[in-house]
Amino acid sequence: MPFVLESAAFLFPTSEARQCSCWHKTVSLLVLSFSHPHRARQGARQSCKLQRKPSSVRLRPNYLDNGNNKMAIQQADKLLKKHKDLHCAKVLKAIGLQRTGKQEEAYTLAQEVAALEPTDDNSLQALTILYREMHRPELVTKLYEAAVKKVPNSEEYHSHLFMAYARVGEYKKMQQAGMALYKIVPKNPYYFWSVMSLIMQSISAQDENLSKTMFLPLAERMVEKMVKEDKIEAEAEVELYYMILERLEKYREALDVVRGKLGEKLTSELQSRENKCMAMYKKLCRWPECNALSRRLLLKNSDDWQFYITYFDSVFQLIDESWTPPLEEEHSLEGEVHYSIEQAVKFIEDRITEESKSSRPLRGPYLAKLELIRRLRHRGCNDEHKLGDPEELMFQYFRKFGDKPCCFTDLKVFVDLLPASQYTKFISQLLEVIPLSATAESEIALPDDIKALQQHLCVVQLSRLLGIYHAMDKKQKLTVVQELMLRYRHGLEFGKSCLKTELQFSDYYCLLAVHLLLDLWLEEGEETAVWQCLTLLEEGLSHSPSNAQFKLLLIRIYCRLGAFEPVAELYSSLDAKHIQHDTIGYLLTRYAESLGHYAAASQSCNFALRFFHSNQKDTSEYIIQAYKYGAFEKIPEFIAFRNRLNSSLHFAQVRTERMLLDLLLEANISTSLEESIKSMSLSPEEDDIPWKDLRDNRDLTVLFNWDPKDRDISEEHRKLSLEEETLWLRIRSLTLRLVSGLPTLSHTIQPKNSEKTAENGVSSKIDTIRSLLQQLEATVDSGKKFLEQKIQYPVLGPPPTRMAGFFSNGSCQCQTSLFYLVSDIYELDTNGLEVQERIGNSFKSLLERLTDLFNKCKGDLIEVRDGTLKTHPNLLENLVFFVETISITLWVSSYCDSVLRPFKSNLQKKKKKKKESSLAMPPVFTHFLDYVTDLQTLTSNVIDYIKGLEIILTALKLEDLSLKDTLLLQVRTSTYWWFGGLVEGELLSL
Amino acid sequence: GFSPRSNLDPLTETYGIPFYLQYLAHWPEYFIVAEAPGGELMGYIMGKAEGSVAREEWHGHVTALSVAPEFRRLGLAAKLMELLEEISEKKGGFFVDLFVRVSNQVAVNMYKQLGYSVYRTVLEYYSASNGEPDEDAYDMRKALSRDSEKKSIIPLPHPVRPEDIE
Repeated sequence: MPFVLESAAFLFPTSEARQCSCWHKTVSLLVLSFSHPHRARQGARQSCKLQRKPSSVRLRPNYLDNGNNKMAIQQADKLLKKHKDLHCAKVLKAIGLQRTGKQEEAYTLAQEVAALEPTDDNSLQALTILYREMHRPELVTKLYEAAVKKVPNSEEYHSHLFMAYARVGEYKKMQQAGMALYKIVPKNPYYFWSVMSLIMQSISAQDENLSKTMFLPLAERMVEKMVKEDKIEAEAEVELYYMILERLEKYREALDVVRGKLGEKLTSELQSRENKCMAMYKKLCRWPECNALSRRLLLKNSDDWQFYITYFDSVFQLIDESWTPPLEEEHSLEGEVHYSIEQAVKFIEDRITEESKSSRPLRGPYLAKLELIRRLRHRGCNDEHKLGDPEELMFQYFRKFGDKPCCFTDLKVFVDLLPASQYTKFISQLLEVIPLSATAESEIALPDDIKALQQHLCVVQLSRLLGIYHAMDKKQKLTVVQELMLRYRHGLEFGKSCLKTELQFSDYYCLLAVHLLLDLWLEEGEETAVWQCLTLLEEGLSHSPSNAQFKLLLIRIYCRLGAFEPVAELYSSLDAKHIQHDTIGYLLTRYAESLGHYAAASQSCNFALRFFHSNQKDTSEYIIQAYKYGAFEKIPEFIAFRNRLNSSLHFAQVRTERMLLDLLLEANISTSLEESIKSMSLSPEEDDIPWKDLRDNRDLTVLFNWDPKDRDISEEHRKLSLEEETLWLRIRSLTLRLVSGLPTLSHTIQPKNSEKTAENGVSSKIDTIRSLLQQLEATVDSGKKFLEQKIQYPVLGPPPTRMAGFFSNGSCQCQTSLFYLVSDIYELDTNGLEVQERIGNSFKSLLERLTDLFNKCKGDLIEVRDGTLKTHPNLLENLVFFVETISITLWVSSYCDSVLRPFKSNLQKKKKKKKESSLAMPPVFTHFLDYVTDLQTLTSNVIDYIKGLEIILTALKLEDLSLKDTLLLQVRTSTYWWFGGLVEGELLSL
Repeated sequence: GFSPRSNLDPLTETYGIPFYLQYLAHWPEYFIVAEAPGGELMGYIMGKAEGSVAREEWHGHVTALSVAPEFRRLGLAAKLMELLEEISEKKGGFFVDLFVRVSNQVAVNMYKQLGYSVYRTVLEYYSASNGEPDEDAYDMRKALSRDSEKKSIIPLPHPVRPEDIE
């Protein structure tokens, strides 16, 4: 239980008060569980040994640390028998209870102690741990508020109170707590905590005016006071001052601070003063200083790209301003200034001359030259010839760096300097200088060493980037594929001694060949090409088992073919973790559920959710640490980071899908639907998705590609994909909320004949349902409009959502009409025959639609035609939607049943009273009975079909075996069985 | 800023968020990232300063150093190490140290070239998963100018246990 230890270690060994007597530049007393990073993974064992135990803590929760909660409870009970009022023992017992799942007992016990407003260290710290584990950090603030009232001069408790506020982001109270601390013990850090809290108030203020006119000026005055009294001690304090001035847009003042006496304290970060000055020069448009400073920094390090950019920016600004240097004084605060193209050209040429003397080859000067050409061209300047022909310069660059793997990435930035007519010539020019030798076996000349291979590979990548392969016909493409694969296999000989964790030098050949085959598949409809892709990638992976690109592309292709079985394993071998759950989790979650792999879908959602949930708590801890160590500039960054994860699109998606999945998998009869919804604390009214702030954290370029710009993933694709994902998420979230509203309705039926209930809020439930239904319809409309654009994302880019299938197979219509049915049934006894007629028609059309949907699930998953195989993954997707729709149908039917039953018995009672046999029963009962009968027939047909499907698939699998897995497609069938069971079970429960 | 560029390099560990935040909160200056002109992440180094000044053990420590496969063989790791040493010099450290798997000969040789030498062996420092034995680490050091006599790097005669290191 590393997490438990972490929090314990954080609290017990040192008090927070002792921490703050020094800023982060001195030795720290703090012991964290992973005190040594390399051992982070086995933190638990290590931290036991490293925890320093202050003698004051007698009652350490040893058992709790070891995860032995039962023993801890027993020990605490024993102690409590002897000392009835030992608060600390009570809290330790509460922790034990909390960790054994007895949250309510734990809470009651804890509040017993908290009510006494304890002031002993042990109880306070143990309660803090407990509250944090309960995710109730706000209770910690109450605890210490009471403690400081009783012990007003305790530096320690005040400091705990400050940190408790920091955890929950109570900035104003932090400000006060910081000042209170400073009054007790006049240490600078406390004072500046208070100042920082003002900045946080300004950041979180809705009203920007308030932040600029109140919080920040106040913070500024507080720091100025310290400056005047000559009390500034630490670098962190100067950093904070700079931060305030920057936020106030007082750039001149900020510059004075950095360049002045106070600025001398800015020593930790490399070039801290220079970087800050540069930032201010830019804000102030002081181009002479920008220029002079970047020039100076480039003289020191001619490989620092950011300063080339500033240097060029400033030179051209100065030219545009017709700037001339002052006659007598220095050019600028930072020294000599370049203000003409001639100077810039010479400066870059000089950097190149210097580079040739350097022991380490530097790319910067050469790339800077190309950048300068680009800028001159952009300005329509005819001075570019002074620098030479870009084609020639790129050729020279290739000669110098072509054997480095980064050569392609570097040149990619500048290929737009080449005229399209020169592409082929350029490529052959490069090819000519690569030392390749012809072999006896092959017409193709091959590299003799890794360097030559690397150079050749660079040219192949460039050829793809320049669109040379795209322009080829089918036959030519296939020839290139063959050549690339030959080169790939030949290149393996250079990597014979590579470790499993290393990539083969020639891997990209294989990947590029596959990209060509993908073009053939998707653009020319060549079905065999995709099967070849799979075999080549599997071949590549067998030689280079750590190559993530092979795995990613295999995952993408298998998913597109509808074969999820191999995907889970491939994905898990990527070892994606932590932040990657957010950035690349979509690769898995998009397909797992839609291809019927419910267990894998659940699991991948769970992994992601665990990550997102821990983010909140983890980040708070490090915000506090940043206060302690005076890393103030990090605090807003940490908070922005936390917010970015909290408003992640993927987070909202896995949250929603996970709940839908749970309902589908667990709630097989109506009563357990109600239970499930209750246990998830779902309510139709609640919407916890931050729609306006949704952040797309997906890494959409995780799959490499070498495509030309016009085929590559564009900003537009990203924007559209986010829009599509958001629409789909809205549909799913509304569906979930509608389903969660069903049980809330069923209880309102009995007393419904009395008019009163309609007023006292019961009817609002159906209003909620109706309003959600309206929203769903509106979103569906927007979704349809969106799809009319017929957007095609690049195959390696964002996958399309399931929305198109949902609309086209008819499940959308089925699901909405089901919710309309709910709305109609609700009115059964208040509206006469008209609504009965409508309900009858709904039943009928619903069955027709379900039957239609079912028919769309039928067909061959793998079709063999003219010797080629083609998969139909849409059948699987339809089936999954069908199962989902049937589940909703059964929940809704069960609701209908719960309305009709009492309605019927009421009528029968009336009938008996009146003894009139002539009183006919309303038609709705017959409609419903017919409907249930037909539904049963349909579902048993479905079950039969699925059973049949399984036999076919088993046969197919056997066939595969005999074909010795040239066919890598496997389709899992057990899930259908399972679902057959589910459907059956639900019908029986009706 | 955080831009989604996924590290899928098998030799580069993706740590949990707390790990990075801890370093950013405590030693922000020791976190250096190198970017290519196209915006690609070329590599990063992460470290910290620790140890007692009185005992002349105050030093810079390299926690993680990684260069993307695409940008290897450019001397980037050396450059990043140089920067970390410069920061440690400015802080008045006596030396810079790092831990490396005994089996990672490529890295050991690289560090030797950069002026590091093996100070001691730490037994079973790296815990292995899936039943393999734990692996030893070399604690490698390079003296900074404050340790003019290079006392801090005199190799220890015997290996030590992980729990014995500070």
